[in-house]
Amino acid sequence: MRPIQLQNISISGTVRACRTADPPCDGVKETVLSGISDAEVLERYPRTAVDHDNKYFYQGLLERKLLVNRCNACGRWHQPPRPICPSCWSRDITATEVSGEGVIHLLIFLHQGPPAAGVDYATPHPVAVVELAEQEGLRFSTTIVNADRETLRIGLPVTLTWIERDGNPFPAFAPAAV
Amino acid sequence: MTRYPVKDKVAFAGTGATAFSRDSGERSQLSLCAEACTRAVENAGLTAADIDGIAGAVPIAYKVQSALGIPETTWWTSPPQEGSFVQVILEAMNAVYSGACNTVIAYHTFYRLPWASRAAAKDPFRRMLSITGGVSPAPEDVWGSVGYTAWASRYLYEYGASREDFGLVAVNSRSNAGRNPNAVMRSPIGMDDYLAARMIRWPLSLLDMDVPIDGAVAFVITTAERARDLPGRPVLIHAATAGVIDRNEEDQTPGLRNHGQRVTVETLRARSDLWLDDMDVYYPYDGFSFITLSWLEAIGLCGPGEAGAFIRDNWDDKTNSLVIHGKVPVNTHGGSLSEGGTQGAGHIREAVLQLRGEAGERQVLGANTAILTPGGFFFNAHGLVLRAE
Repeated sequence: MRPIQLQNISISGTVRACRTADPPCDGVKETVLSGISDAEVLERYPRTAVDHDNKYFYQGLLERKLLVNRCNACGRWHQPPRPICPSCWSRDITATEVSGEGVIHLLIFLHQGPPAAGVDYATPHPVAVVELAEQEGLRFSTTIVNADRETLRIGLPVTLTWIERDGNPFPAFAPAAV
Repeated sequence: MTRYPVKDKVAFAGTGATAFSRDSGERSQLSLCAEACTRAVENAGLTAADIDGIAGAVPIAYKVQSALGIPETTWWTSPPQEGSFVQVILEAMNAVYSGACNTVIAYHTFYRLPWASRAAAKDPFRRMLSITGGVSPAPEDVWGSVGYTAWASRYLYEYGASREDFGLVAVNSRSNAGRNPNAVMRSPIGMDDYLAARMIRWPLSLLDMDVPIDGAVAFVITTAERARDLPGRPVLIHAATAGVIDRNEEDQTPGLRNHGQRVTVETLRARSDLWLDDMDVYYPYDGFSFITLSWLEAIGLCGPGEAGAFIRDNWDDKTNSLVIHGKVPVNTHGGSLSEGGTQGAGHIREAVLQLRGEAGERQVLGANTAILTPGGFFFNAHGLVLRAE
């Protein structure tokens, strides 16, 4: 019989114990987390494809923390949430809060799109892929708030801020204070 | 030395299609698919009993076999329909070469779905056909169409390019569609029309995006030896490849010069004895206008960011279209932008028709070699070199 390893998973800045079987397989993390349960995450995001690999991200959102998976073995960050580090194949991964600093890498304006609470396409809706300060090429896609269209451009430094959508905290970015 | 034993061993021996339509009325996907398949088998001079392999995404292969009464098959595949049809062709080629079967009918069905077409949303029989499985996309989900739009914005930023550069691709496709009776968008457009088009996702407008249509395309694929014994001119698959990199999510991909197109071109170049100087016709994918600019650069016709200038330098005023070096027309059928959105199947069909000498009024005289680069950046970039015998 293989031993059960204890592994540290950091959620929302708090280190919590999590049992991980090693093997049989990735993605089977038997969490003993307190706080926001899997059931609550599913209830709060009924139309989102939440699974065992990305549930920590959504738990983080509910506590207004933007979490990105980071490898404890090699230190590399990666997106989207995966159960293995693509750089070194370690399965010792922590969903880790990022600084919230970044730069707009891609920027578009939707004149139409899927329905979403608080999004009125009569004013073209900005969608930005933000390159996060933590690592070159590490990016997060969201909208930009508190900015006129004329001031938005690729290369603009931005900072994480929180808005509400469907009653849940939603991570947006805004132009960084100069 | 590149290992590529399948070179010239497998051939297209026939092709068929339905009419392409922005509204086919009450026809099902199976109805469209079955018509294209029967036309392809007839075009090859064969019958159902000659087919022993079947490949296509929708409908699933064995249901198509049953509908067509193909007595016995020894191989089939229905890979997921993820935006490019070329994977079906590659699998069929490998199956024929390996001996898993001898003669494949390979098909691609395209069907307006409620999310892409307001008219389709009114058809109660199409409401069940959803691609999202109950999950609602958010406006900020950068994948699919939004992903290409996002990188189009980066193209403008990095190279100082203009939307007119995108517009050249739209005008070229439309001019060529005027010579294709099966194209759904045939009225000529100019740059003024392009710039006046309704903005959908800045920087891409309605005329930067392919047109959702109903229809189906099918091909008979068999050994080169068998194809030589059939009535039409065989079109050999000289070289073919897919190309995907590790960071293939739309928002994480490294950059404009490092995605699936780079791998595709490097691999195709290594496998093919024929290259840009040898080609008579070229088919870069144009599901979004911007993708065509990227293919022109990736394949080496011009440098990064130079596609707009390259097209202007190679513009043929008489036909109002791109003719590379005064010799090589591009997307002679009108592409996905104007023939209709076929996820690359229309590009392959047109290349096969041209090389078989069956392209009617738009036949390029003496067309013997075609290069095709169907698909986009992330997980569906593909390349093909076809040659007629």
